[in-house]
Order: sequence, then C-alpha cells, then structure tokens
Amino acid sequence: MMNMQNLILALSDYWAGQGCYLAPTYDLEVGAGTMTPDTFFRVVGRKPWRVAYVQPSRRPTDGRYGENPHRVQKHFQFQVIMKPSPLNIQRIYLDSLVSLGINLSEHDLRFDEDDWESPTIGAWGVGWQVMLDGLEITQFTYFQQAGGLELFPVSVEITYGLERLEMFLEQKDNIYDLKWSDDVSYRALRFREEKEFSIYNFEQADIAMLQSAFNADEKEAQRLIGQKLLLPAYDYCLKCSHLFNLLDARKAISVTERVKMIGQIRTLVNQIARLYAEEEGES
Amino acid sequence: MEFLLEIMTEELPSSHAKSALAQLEEKFPQEMKTSGLEIFELRAIGTCRRLVLIADLGERQPDQEEIVTGPPRTAGLAPDGSFTQAALGFARSQGVEVDNLQVIKTARGEYLGFKRLKKGKSTPEILEEKLPALIAALNFPKTMRWSDKSFRFSRPIKGLLCLFGGQIVRVSLEGLVASNQTYGHFIHSPQELSVHSYQEYCQALKEKFVLVDPAERKEKILEGFQKKLISLKAQVYPDERLLERLLWNVECPLVIMGSFPETYLSLPLEVLSTAMREGQELFSVVKGKKQLPYFLGIADAPADPKGYILAGNERVLKARLEDARFFWENDLKISLAERAEQLAEVIFQEKLGSYADKVARVEKLASYIADRLNLRNLKKDLLEAVSLSKADLLTEMVREFPELQGKIGGIYAHRQGWSETVSRAIYEHYLPASWEDPVPDSTGGAILSLADKLDTVVGISGTGYAISGSSDPYGLRRNALGVVRIILDKKFHLSLYRLIDRSISLLQKKLSLPAEQVKEACLELIGGRVRFIFEKRGYSYDLISAALAPGLDYLDFTEARIKALNNLKSSKNFEQFILMVKRVKNILKEAPKSRLDPTWLSEKEEKELYSALNIIKKNAEEMMARGDFVGAQKIIFRLQAPLNNFFDRVLVMAEDKKIRHNRLALLAQVQSLIEQLADYSQIVVTSESS
Repeated sequence: MMNMQNLILALSDYWAGQGCYLAPTYDLEVGAGTMTPDTFFRVVGRKPWRVAYVQPSRRPTDGRYGENPHRVQKHFQFQVIMKPSPLNIQRIYLDSLVSLGINLSEHDLRFDEDDWESPTIGAWGVGWQVMLDGLEITQFTYFQQAGGLELFPVSVEITYGLERLEMFLEQKDNIYDLKWSDDVSYRALRFREEKEFSIYNFEQADIAMLQSAFNADEKEAQRLIGQKLLLPAYDYCLKCSHLFNLLDARKAISVTERVKMIGQIRTLVNQIARLYAEEEGES
Repeated sequence: MEFLLEIMTEELPSSHAKSALAQLEEKFPQEMKTSGLEIFELRAIGTCRRLVLIADLGERQPDQEEIVTGPPRTAGLAPDGSFTQAALGFARSQGVEVDNLQVIKTARGEYLGFKRLKKGKSTPEILEEKLPALIAALNFPKTMRWSDKSFRFSRPIKGLLCLFGGQIVRVSLEGLVASNQTYGHFIHSPQELSVHSYQEYCQALKEKFVLVDPAERKEKILEGFQKKLISLKAQVYPDERLLERLLWNVECPLVIMGSFPETYLSLPLEVLSTAMREGQELFSVVKGKKQLPYFLGIADAPADPKGYILAGNERVLKARLEDARFFWENDLKISLAERAEQLAEVIFQEKLGSYADKVARVEKLASYIADRLNLRNLKKDLLEAVSLSKADLLTEMVREFPELQGKIGGIYAHRQGWSETVSRAIYEHYLPASWEDPVPDSTGGAILSLADKLDTVVGISGTGYAISGSSDPYGLRRNALGVVRIILDKKFHLSLYRLIDRSISLLQKKLSLPAEQVKEACLELIGGRVRFIFEKRGYSYDLISAALAPGLDYLDFTEARIKALNNLKSSKNFEQFILMVKRVKNILKEAPKSRLDPTWLSEKEEKELYSALNIIKKNAEEMMARGDFVGAQKIIFRLQAPLNNFFDRVLVMAEDKKIRHNRLALLAQVQSLIEQLADYSQIVVTSESS
C-alpha cells in the first residue's frame, strides 16, 4: 500500500497533528527546504513557529542522466520546523516513523553526529543524520544561526529525504522503481526530466548567460534591499544561488571565484536577515 | 558511601562524550577534596546518551572552627575595659553572650570577636551545590543551545539521576531536577526505570539493552568480529578510529556481516574501504591484503530477527559502490598530467597562491633535498611525482572522498603507466597524516612529503599566521610533526636550518614577515614537535631540554644527543659531572667576557686543565661531527678530574683582575665545549632536590 503519495500524506497528517501549518511548496528553485522563506525568515526572531511542507530540492551536480539508481539532480524533501524546539522532539520524530508503519524494534536506528552548515545563507546548526539500517533518511538539526544572526529561541529542523525513505519502505534498490501513486511510477514522472536536465546542467547551460543573469540578479537583490523590500530581495538571492549551482555543474567556477560568489550571496542574505530581525523587533 | 551520577543527553559525538568523562574524572575529585570530602574509587563511564560517574564519598564535611570578628578593639572596649555599645550590638546580632567576646589579632589589627564551631555540610548538600556548576563548566569544541534555554552544552540534556547512599540527591540544572530514574535503550526499552544503587543500575540497564561500560561494549564487538570471521579465515581491515567512534555511538552493539557483488572488487581496496567507512560506518573484510566481498557492521540493537538490518545495509552499500565505480571510471578517462595543468586554477592558500605555484616550489625543494642526500639517481622520478602529486585534487573521487587524496593519485598514476617509484611517491606523500600513521615507506614518498609539508609550514608561518589554542586550520602542528618524523625515521642527515632558508627563498615574495622572523617561528613550531616526540618516547622533560639546547639543525644529531644523555644518565660520573657543570655556569653567570691568554696561566692545575681541554676538545669535536655523541660525552666526562683539581687548588676570583679574567676565560672555553653536547644545567639531579 505504500507509495510516495501516501508517504507525503502520512507525514503531513502526522505533523499537522503536532500543530504544524502545512505550507504549500515554494515556487522557486532551491537547493534545500531550509532556503525557502517559510524556514529562513521564520527561524529569525522570537515568535513561535511550526510548519511542514514538501519542497523539491535542486542540486544540479548530483545529476546522473537517469543512469544512477539513487542520485538525482532534483529530489523531494519533507521539511519540518518547530520553534522553539520541543524538549521531547526526538521522541516526536521517532513516533513519526512509527506512524509510517515502521516497527523500530526490528531495525537499527541511529543518530549520527552531523553538523549542518550552509555558507550561502550564513546558517549553521548542530545535530545528526538519522540512519535507518545504514540508510540516511533524515537530517535533524538544531538551528544556531541563520543569515549570520544568532537564533533564539532555537528552532529544530527535521528534513526527511522522501525518496530515500520510500526506497526503504518499498525495499527498492532503484529510485525509478518507486511508485508515486498506485498508478504512476517515479520513472514515468521523472526519468525524462533527470536525463534532459543532466544534459542541460552539465553540457548545455549557457555559461555566459548564467553569469550575466547572476550579476543582474545580484544587483537587483541589492537594489531591493535599499528599498527595504526584503522578501523580493531574498527571492533574488535564491535565484543567484541556483545560478551559482548551475555554473558549478558546468565547472565554470574556479576555487577563488567560488568563494567570492558564495560570499556575495551571503553578504546580501545577512543584510536581509538583519533588517528583517530589526523590523520584527519593532513590531 | 556510594555516589552515582548519570547525565542523560541526546546523542553526543563520541569525542565529546569521551572528553566530558575525562573532564569529570579530573574535576570532580578536585571539587570534592576542596570541599573537604574524602573520595575513593572514582569511575567515569558512559555512552553517547549518558555520562556516568561513580565514586565512594565521605558522608559529610568535617566540622570547622570559624572566627567571627566584629568591631575593632578600640571601638569595642572602653578605656576601663568594659564593653561599648558597639560590642554589645555585635554580640546581640550574632546571638552570643557578650562575655564570650575576646580580642582577636588579625593582619589588619586587633578586633573583638569570638570562635565558633561551624558544622560541616552533608555530602548531598555539597553535591547539590557543586554539581550544577561542574556540569555547566564542561568544555566542548562546539556547543549549542536548544528550545528557549540559554544554557549551552554539546547536545541537549534530557535528565539527571543522582544517588548518594541509595538516596536521591536533588541536584537541579536548567529546570531539571535529579531523580532515581533512568531509561533503557531508546528504541528497545525506552520506559523509565527506578534504581537505588550502582549495581542495580548496571543490572537494570543490561536487562534493558544498555551496556554502560565502554570496555564491555568493545569486548562484545571484538568477540562478534571474531565469530563472524572465523569460518572465512579472514581479518577485519583495521580501523581503530572507526571502532572507537562506533563504540560510543551504540549502547547495545550487534555485529553484522554482509556481502556485496564481486564485480565491485575491481575497485581498489582503498576505495572500497573508504566507501564503506564514510557515511555508512562499515568495516571491510580482507584476507592478507586482498579485499573479500564482505563487510562487518555494528548495529545498535539486541538482534536482527528478520534480517532487515543486514539487508538494508547491503542495499545501501551496493548503491555507494555503484557511485564509487562511476567516479573511478570517469576519473580514469583523463590523465593526471592533463589534470595537473589545471592546478593554476586551484587556490592552495590566498596569500601563497595556487597549487601550481606550490608544486613549482616543492619541485625545487625536493630537488635540493635529493642533492643534499646524494640521491641524484632518484631525481627524475621524484620530480615527475611532484609534478603530478596534486592533480588528484581535481578528480571526482577526491571530491567525494577527500581522505583519499594522494592515495588515489598514486593508484591512478600506476594505472596510467607511471613507474612504481613515481606512483608510490604520490601515493604516500600525505603520510604521516596523524600521529598513528607511519611515515612514507619509499624514499621518494618521504622526500616529496617532507618538501610539501615544509613548504606549508614555512609558507603559512610566513603569512604571519600563528596557532592559537586548539585552532589550527592549516594543520601547522601536523605538518611540522610530519617534517620531524620523516627526518628522524628516514635517518635523513640534512641541515634543517639551510632547508628552511631554501624554502623561505622560494616563497620570498609571498611572505609578509621578514625572513629571520619566519625562520624563528618555524623553528619554534618544529622544536615543539621534537619535544612532543621525545616525550612520547618516554624521555624525561629535563633531558629533552638539555638535548635541545644546542639547536635543531641536524635533527638526527638532536636525537643522538638525547639518546646519549639517556644512556649515560645512570653512569656513576653523571651526577657529579652535572653538579660540576652547574658550578661552572654559576661562576660564569656574571663574569665579563674576556679573552684567554695561555701565557698568563701560572698555576699547575690551570695549566693542566688547559692542556686537557685542548686534547678533549679536539677529540670530542671530531666525534660530534660524525654523530658519535655517546663517545663525545664519555670523553668530555674526563674534564671532571682536571676541573676538580682546578677548583680545589686555584682561586678563580684572584685579586689581580687580569689573572681573574683569564681564569674565567678558561672556564668559558670549557663551558662552550660542553654546551655543544647539551645544556647540562637543565638536568635535575637527586642530590639537589633533597
């Protein structure tokens, strides 16, 4: 009976029951669910917040032309934020697995040290990757900083890798053998997309176009910050981040440029976070 | 009485758990002793989810006499000796009869006051007072906050258990109050358990799938390995670091053995074992040096009743190996020589330029070392190895598994037809990457590694960067340690001073500090590592200081000097000799520098000392030049007799200034000879300490 769709429904149901608002997927390309405004802006400041949502995550360098059984340039994350982190959050998380029908006593579940950081958005946290019979199914992080700001109260971020988890549940070795619904397979939905985007990401993306788009978007973000239009400014930072990832997949970035470009985005994001926190503090 | 503390946490990194226990083991007894409590049989054990401290503690603090002072004597006693209002008020406020007041002398003068017996606190009171601060003061390399608490720790603290003599001690910390409750394995028996003693605690946890003692867990793991491997007659590919980490990450170790398709055996052992270790934390299984298509894993579960744990691990590993094969095949499509051309694009360090720049410097430095060691035949291969050494930084394999750098370069070089000498040198050139690592086996690898590491040490030091505390992002200590270990272990007879000069001149334009300062910084760093190695080898601190004093130029000689000192330290002349050297040093401490004029030597004993010195000096210096420091030291011991006679019969501090200065100059010559061997005055001798 298990398929991706049921998995999403079950997790949504479970986390809605924990008081999370179910956010719609954000409509821009992002590398991780952490980067969308529902996480990024809401972990800043003192207001409590609980949210859960599915977010496609694009990582152009992970493309394998549809030929690798588990690596794809786009995968789906189920993202949960709870602020402040409940004191029994690990137990709440374990119960979410139980709600999926996993009998934990028949498996090996481990919280393995894995601190997370995203230099692009000036964020880092402390936590673990959750391993189930050797498979990483979740990233579990106590957010300590975002946009260069110290966060308090602390949010917990729980990010399930939906394909990984579904491969575990269906006991499949190949991502394309997964079922999205009873009638629609992951292959039917995504194989062509993986193949074409791998060709685009690695071979066809127009480097000069991407570079000028990066510069234009960076400038626009800067201009919008000047206007105190922080959410639109942040969108342009996300666009920069994705363009950077595409350039990286095209191997068009030297190590020095890499540091410089990440620094450019971070500077903008940090400004946005600081201004946002100041406004939050006023209201 | 029995004391038991358990700090329950979310999963601590293994290094944090171990360090926290070591800190508790050190600081807890100190705290108890300063509080006046006796402490015996301390043990600190635990897992990633619990830090446990057990001890036998005294029942209470001894009672103490306390002096309470009040008004100054002059204000408290009227001239007629009667108590004033101030004294009466003081007595009343303290609840004592005024007649009990007496004059007490203090450093500040005389006061009225009284003595009273202060009752010692009970042990639970002291524990409640001291434990919260002790726990809060534990140090971790990285800490975090959680929820809306401002408290910082390695990971969130979930609960406290604290017992003394079977009774709960209500220690409180950040909203938590200690109880007598713990819990079993977080998956297999998460219910709360009440306990009243350490024995009951261990027993209850064992029944609930937790082995609290790391030694027990290790034993169970090693036994499990043995059982699985016996029928295959195979061995586990040793990986102490992984074992140590897993040992702390599991509470209920279960060894599993699985297999993977043989087609992946076409990948080299290094790649296979890395793919298994990274992320999945599996051990590879080998027979001799050959990888078998098996792996060992450690799960945190009492059993694998349905085989899910094994099957899951096999499935994940297969996917990982598939990925590794993808990297392997892609990487081999491009030759290392071609990749090396792109190194100009890769930054080594902002101020020091690209890896292409580094490779160019290392080529010159390696060539210089080969010349100094008379290894000209090796030069062609060595220089080829240097030019390819960093090319693997651009491979997919190193991007995925950074710890394969060097090794995979060597393997690719071999595959692409480079000679054994070249590929060996590349393969080994990051060795030793840690204290446990060996130095490169091949001479080519050793020279390449030495040149590469020295360039890093000199370059980074030359940018003005200095290590502070535990932060050493460029690995300066590790690189300096590598330099020392290679020179010592490979018995390279090289002038370190000239080698550093050479490296500085290659880097010159890029360095922000003047050459002299860079050299000094490097020598301080390297000297620190030499000291560290000698300490690890068991030499005593004072002998090390003595042997290091003449300098670090030829490290093989520095080592020969400490060995000689260590050999001779138990000989009967040694102690007398050192006392003599100290005497000479004392006399010379404030003496002006003067020239020795042998014609002014008049007394028989000073003439004899002078002629003995000349003969001994000639012999000793010849011996030192060829590294025979035992011989040199033995011969220098012969100065003892003429020196003794000199001190017995000759007055150094003669009235005639010229004679006095001449005698001091003679002693200065003696001292300068001795100091070429060691600074003996650093050595502690028993007759002094009594």
